[in-house]
Amino acid sequence: MAQEDSTHLRPSLIKHGGLQKFIDSGKTLSVTVSPRDDSIAVYATSNSHARPSSNSSAEYHPIYMAIPHLPPSGERRTFLTDTSVIFAAAQNLVRVAREESVQIPDTVDGIKAMTKLALDYVNHCKECCIYAAQETARRESLQFDADHYRKLYTCFSLFMVLYMPEGGFEDAPVGDELMDWLNTHYIEPSTEDGDRLSSLDRPWEDETFWHYLTRATLRGLSRASAFFLGVLSQHPSPNLQHLSQRLIPLLTNHPRLHQFAAERDFAVASRRWKDKVKSLRLELDRVPEEDREDGFENWWERFSDIVSILEGRGDSVKRIVSELGGDWKEVCAVWSVFVDTRIRRSDLPDLVEDLLDELPPDPTNLEDVIHSSLFLGRPTQALSQAAELDIWLAAHLVDIMESLQLIDVEPDDSEHSIRDHYILSYAEYMRSDPSLWRLTVDYMSSCSEIGKAMADQVLMHVPLRLHRPKGAHEGETEIAQIHAGQLAGVLKEVIATCFEYKREEVRRMICRIAAQTFMQEKEYGLAVSYCASAEDWPGLGRVVDRVLEDYITEGPETFARLVANMSPVLHSLRAAPGAHGVFLHRLMFAVRFAEFHQRRMMGDLQEAAFDLVAMFREDLAPRSWWAVILSDAVELLQHSQSMLFTNNDAVLFLHKLQEIDMRCAQGAQDDYLAILARTMKGAGEKQIFQRLQVIRLVLARYTARCGVIGVGGRTTQGTVY
Amino acid sequence: MLQTGLIPNAHNDLVTDASYDFYGLRLATCSLDQRIKVWQLDETNGTWAVESEWKAHDAAISKVCWAHPEFGTILASSSFDRTVKVWEQIPATESDAPQVNGSGGAVLTSKWVERAMLVDAKGTVRAIEFAPQHFGLKLASISSDNQLRVYDCLEQPSLTTWQMAEEVDVLNLPSGSRSNNNTANVATPTQQPSTTPEAASASLVAHALQQQQQQQGQPARSGSGNREADGGWCLSWCKDRYWGELIAAGCGASGVVKIIQLTQSRRPFTVLTLDPSPSQTSTNDASGKNAPASDGDTPTPFAITSVAWAPSCGRSYHLIATGGRDGRVRIWRVRPPLPSDELDGEPDGDASEGKWSASIVGDFDDHKSAVGRVEWNITGTILSSAGNDGRVRLWKMTVGNVWRPAGHISVEQADEQQADVDMDADAED
Repeated sequence: MAQEDSTHLRPSLIKHGGLQKFIDSGKTLSVTVSPRDDSIAVYATSNSHARPSSNSSAEYHPIYMAIPHLPPSGERRTFLTDTSVIFAAAQNLVRVAREESVQIPDTVDGIKAMTKLALDYVNHCKECCIYAAQETARRESLQFDADHYRKLYTCFSLFMVLYMPEGGFEDAPVGDELMDWLNTHYIEPSTEDGDRLSSLDRPWEDETFWHYLTRATLRGLSRASAFFLGVLSQHPSPNLQHLSQRLIPLLTNHPRLHQFAAERDFAVASRRWKDKVKSLRLELDRVPEEDREDGFENWWERFSDIVSILEGRGDSVKRIVSELGGDWKEVCAVWSVFVDTRIRRSDLPDLVEDLLDELPPDPTNLEDVIHSSLFLGRPTQALSQAAELDIWLAAHLVDIMESLQLIDVEPDDSEHSIRDHYILSYAEYMRSDPSLWRLTVDYMSSCSEIGKAMADQVLMHVPLRLHRPKGAHEGETEIAQIHAGQLAGVLKEVIATCFEYKREEVRRMICRIAAQTFMQEKEYGLAVSYCASAEDWPGLGRVVDRVLEDYITEGPETFARLVANMSPVLHSLRAAPGAHGVFLHRLMFAVRFAEFHQRRMMGDLQEAAFDLVAMFREDLAPRSWWAVILSDAVELLQHSQSMLFTNNDAVLFLHKLQEIDMRCAQGAQDDYLAILARTMKGAGEKQIFQRLQVIRLVLARYTARCGVIGVGGRTTQGTVY
Repeated sequence: MLQTGLIPNAHNDLVTDASYDFYGLRLATCSLDQRIKVWQLDETNGTWAVESEWKAHDAAISKVCWAHPEFGTILASSSFDRTVKVWEQIPATESDAPQVNGSGGAVLTSKWVERAMLVDAKGTVRAIEFAPQHFGLKLASISSDNQLRVYDCLEQPSLTTWQMAEEVDVLNLPSGSRSNNNTANVATPTQQPSTTPEAASASLVAHALQQQQQQQGQPARSGSGNREADGGWCLSWCKDRYWGELIAAGCGASGVVKIIQLTQSRRPFTVLTLDPSPSQTSTNDASGKNAPASDGDTPTPFAITSVAWAPSCGRSYHLIATGGRDGRVRIWRVRPPLPSDELDGEPDGDASEGKWSASIVGDFDDHKSAVGRVEWNITGTILSSAGNDGRVRLWKMTVGNVWRPAGHISVEQADEQQADVDMDADAED
C-alpha cells in the first residue's frame, strides 16, 4: 500500500523520450480533483497563457482518471465493515470513560473491555486470513491475499502480547506468551516432517531427524520431542538410548509459568529442573568419544545442543536457532523460555536490541520491521511502518495505543494528534469507495475538530440522488417516497448522520440543496418544506419567486396545480413560532393566489372572490402583482349570475387601480406593470394601458350595479377564511 | 495511483480546463475548440459519457467552474474572448428548440442556457471561481488586465443580473495598513525594470494605453501572445466563513500571491503577501517595508500561475498551495490573527490587521519545470500538482506536519512499453 509509486497512464500521450517535443509544442499537463473519491482527472492542456493557437485536430485529446487508492472490494470490504463495528465499540468505551473522567488504563474493567476488543480485531484478521487461504470458487476475487491478512494477524497479536497483558500479568515473565505467539504464527518444525519421520523405522538415519528434534525442543513442543526421544530407545547406541530416556521427563516436566500459582514457586521449580539438566550434562560428558557417532551423524553433538538449550546457554541458543534458519524473534522467544525465564516485558527492548545487532531484521520485510519496533518498545515507529504495510493496521493500532496512553496524545504542529493522523489517513483510504461514506464519517468523527470538519466535507458531498431516474429503477421507490414527502433513501441517511454527530450546519446545507433540486423539479411543496427545515428564508423567497414565475410563463392552471401542495407546509410554518417575516408573507401570497385560481377554475366563485379581496385587505399582494390580480378579477366582476363583491370591495379595487395609475404617471411603471405585461405575452404599452382601462370600466360598471341595486350585493364584509 | 478511467477523445482540440461538480458525478470540460462539454459518470462501470455540449464562446475557453448546488446547476466559463458567461441547466420542455444544445440524439431531458455574459474584462479572463456558498452566489474572475473582479448575482432564480461588486487592480492594491499604502505600492516587486514591460506598466493609465494599443494596433489576435504573458493568472477563495471574504490572487511576474480581503465597509485591501523570495518569507504587508530588499538582488521574475486555497476543515490555520513558472510547488501555512487579538470578533476590524502571517511548510522543486496547476482534495489533505515535466504529482502530510511526495503520474510511455500503443485496445480501461 505504499504510495510512493509512479503510474504511467495508458494509452500514453507522449512517446518515450518525447516530453520535450510535447512541451515545445506549447502543451503541458493539468489536473483536477474529484470530490467524490479524491480521484484525479489528468489531461494535456495549452501551456501558453497567451492566445493559444489551435492545435492540429488530427490529434486526440484524452482525459485520464486515476485514483490514489485501490477501492476496497470483495473480502477487503467485508473486513473493513466488520472491523468498523469493533472500532465503534472502542469509541463507545472511550466516550464512556471520558464522561466518567477516568483513563482506560486506570481501570481494570476498562482494560478488560479494551483487551476484548483488541482480541476481536485479532480474530477478524485471523478469520479473514483463513477465508483468503481457502481454495474455493469466489464470487469476487480476493483483493489481498491470505499472506497479507496473516501479517496483520501477527502484528496485531504481537501488539497484544507485548502491550496488553492479561490483568495481573503486567509484570509477569513473558516467555510463555511469546512462545505461544511464535508457535501460533511461525510453525516449526513442520507437521509434514513430523509425520514423515514418525513413519520411519529408524528415523535417526534421516537427515532431518535431529533438526526436527532440536526445533521441537526449542519451541517447547515437549510431546513431539518426547515421542522421538522415545524412538531413540531403538537406537544402536546404548548410551543414546539411556540419555534419551533421561531427557524425556526433563522435557515433559519443564516448568512453565502457567502451571504455577505464584512466580516464586515457578522460580524454585525452574532452579530444581536446571539442576537435573546439569546432571544430565555430566552424564553426557561421560560418553566415550568413540560412541558419539552412529554412522550417520555425530549424535552426541546433536544431543549436546539440545541439552545446552535446556541449560539456557545464550550463545548456543543463538547459534542453534541461526543454524536452523530461525530469526531474532525465535531467539527472543527461546531466550525467554530457556535462558532468562523470568524476563519481563519491560526487559524485552534491551534484549531485542542486543539480538538485532547480531540478527538484524529484514528491512524489506515490513512485517518483521513492525515486529522489531513493537519489541523495541517504539509504538510510534511501529505505527509509521504499519501505515506502510496497511493503513488499516496503523489506524486500529493507534486507536488502542492512544487509549492505553502508549503514544503522545498532544497534537503536533499540524494540529493533528498521532491518533488522528492515522485515523484520518485510513478514512481517506476509505473515501476511495464513495459508498463507504458512513464508515468514513464515523472514523473522521471520532477525531478532534479537524476530523469532524473533514467528516462534514464528506457528508455534504454524498450525492443525494433526488432526481427522478429516467427509466424504471430499483431505487425508484425511495425517490417516490421522498417525493411523497417522506424522508427516505440517501437523504434520510445523510440527515440522520448529521443529527447523530450534531452537524447542524451540514444538515441545513443538505436541506438547501434538496430544496433547490425540488424547486428545479417544480416540487414546490417539498422545496418549501426543505427551505423551512434549513431555516433558509431567502431560499424560501426564491421558491416563491419561482412559483410566481410559473404563473407568468405557464398560466394559472399549471400554477394552481403546482402550488396546491404548498399550503399544508404554509400552515405548519405559520404555526411555528418566530417566523420568518417577509418571505413567509410572500409564500402566503403565492398560496392564496393559487387558491384563488383553484376555486375560480372549480367554479367556486364566491370563495374565489373572498380570496381576491383578502389578498388586498391582508396586504398579501406585492404591488407588482396588483395589476395582475385586478386583471384576474375582471372575470368575477363581470359574472352575470351574482354579485360576488361588496360595494366596499369594489371601491378597494378602484383605490388600488388609482394608485397604479398614479404611480405609473410618476414613472414607476416597471414596478407596477412589469408582471402584467409579461402575463400578456409581449403586449406593448398600449395594450397594457388598454387592459387597465378595461379593468376600470368593469369596476365602474360593477359599482354602478351596486348603486342601482341599492343593497349592492353583499354589504357585509366577507369573512376571509 | 491506479488508472480508473479514460475519455479517449474529449474535445477536438486541447482541453483547457476540467472541473468536477460538487458530487464528482459530472465533469465539465472546456477547450480551445470553444466548446463546453458536460460528462456524466456511470457509477456502475466508471465510464464517462457526454451529457451536453455546446459552443460557449467565440474564442478559446480558459476555465470552467461549477457553482454550489444550493444555487442550482450552474456553470461559469471564462474565455480569451474577454467574457465570462454563466450557464444554467434546466429541465427541457416539449417546446424546446435546442437553445444551446442538449444531449444529442437522446431524448432531450435538460438543456443549458446562457443566463449572463460579463464583459468587463479588458483582456483574457484567465481564471474564475464561485465564492463559497455562505457568501451567496458570487463569482470572482481575474484577467490579463490585472483586474480581479467580483460579481454578485442580484436575482437568483433568474441568474440574469450580475453586479460587479469589486474591481481590484491586484498589482496596485493597497495593503491593509493605511499609513504606508504608497510605499507598499512602490515597493511591489513586480515593478522591476526589464524583461516584462507589461509588469512595469501596471499603472492604470499605462494599462489603459496598452489596451487602446491592443484594440487599435493589433490587427488580429496573433501578435498579442507576448502582451498577455503577464497579467492576472489565478485566484482562489478562502473556503472558510469566519474571516470574511478573502481571495488569494496571483498576478504579474512578481512571484507573489496576494491575499485580498473584501469587505462591504471599505475598499478591498491586501492582508498578506505570500512572497517566497529569501528575505521575506511570510511577508506581512503591514510591516512589509522590507520589500526594497528585492531591489538589490534581482531574482528572475516569474509568475505564480496557479493558487489553491485548501478547505480549512477546522484547522486554526489555512493552507494555500501555489505553483509557478519557477518550477516550484509551495505549500503555505497562513495564520489568521489570533482570536485574542480581536476586540469583538469582527474579522474586518483594524485591530486584526497586520497580524496575518505565513510560513512555507512545503517547497518542492520535483517538477523541475513550470508548474501549471495545483489543486486540493476536499479535505485539504492531498495536493495535486501538474507541471511541464509531463507529470502529475501528489503531496501529502505525514505525522509531524511534514509534507511529502505521495506518488506521481506520467502520460509518457514507460520504458518497457511497446513503441506504439493501440489506443482502441486500451480505451476501455
